[in-house]
Amino acid sequence: MSASLAPECNDVKERYDTCFLKWYSEKYLRNTATTDECEPLFRQYKTCLTKALKERGIDQMLEDAKADNKENDAEYMKPSAR
Amino acid sequence: MRIFASQHEFAYSWEEVSTNNWRKYCAHNDKASHVLAVDTLSRSLDATTHILRTERLITCRQSMPQWVKRIMGSDDTSYVYEVSYVDAQAKRVTMCSQNMTWSELLQVQEKVVYTPSVEAEGHTRFEQSARIIALCGGWQKIKNSIEEISLERFRQNAAKGREGFERVLEISRQVFAQQREEARQQREGVAA
Repeated sequence: MSASLAPECNDVKERYDTCFLKWYSEKYLRNTATTDECEPLFRQYKTCLTKALKERGIDQMLEDAKADNKENDAEYMKPSAR
Repeated sequence: MRIFASQHEFAYSWEEVSTNNWRKYCAHNDKASHVLAVDTLSRSLDATTHILRTERLITCRQSMPQWVKRIMGSDDTSYVYEVSYVDAQAKRVTMCSQNMTWSELLQVQEKVVYTPSVEAEGHTRFEQSARIIALCGGWQKIKNSIEEISLERFRQNAAKGREGFERVLEISRQVFAQQREEARQQREGVAA
């Protein structure tokens, strides 16, 4: 898997990524996932990442990008024909 | 505005492709050396639709012509914001990304869709489209040049992206086959 933009977050990121890939291929794709089991690990990674993004001044850029994305959410969060 | 569109078929199942999509920028992919980092910003599973929504931040470094650097600033590091939607029941992955860096000067919006192939069973259809618009004020000629260069760079990256992803898929399948073989041998060793 790839590195984080913040090297200090690499370890916790790797643990989260490993958990996610396993959950994704073994549960989510088989339609047996009810919750995101990797959430606790993600929270740890996110704490590290949020701090790094703020320090690098990227957080505001992100807020703008998220605002631009609202139309995509409206379109792709609807289930497609099955 | 410049538009880019391409389609490709991967000779791998939708499940393999959508799983390895998360690993695309790993160390095995030497075609993606321009991607420095991929960070997950959020991930949520919709309880009703079971659509998995993920936000990611991709950090890139690419070389650029000198004159473009002078207009855009000399930092080679750029950031891309990506949102993806996986609908496992419909077997569809949709990924939307846009540049964050230099967005006041240039807008690049990309959409990628992975669905099972209708031509060949066990294959996956990949559709990619992009819109490139230079927003900077100034002469139309400069805007056109910036758009052309961006489009050309996008096209090169897209080709490298596909090659790199093919390699990741191939290695993943080999590793998986090896693991299954080892597991089988262990079982037979125990049974014997």
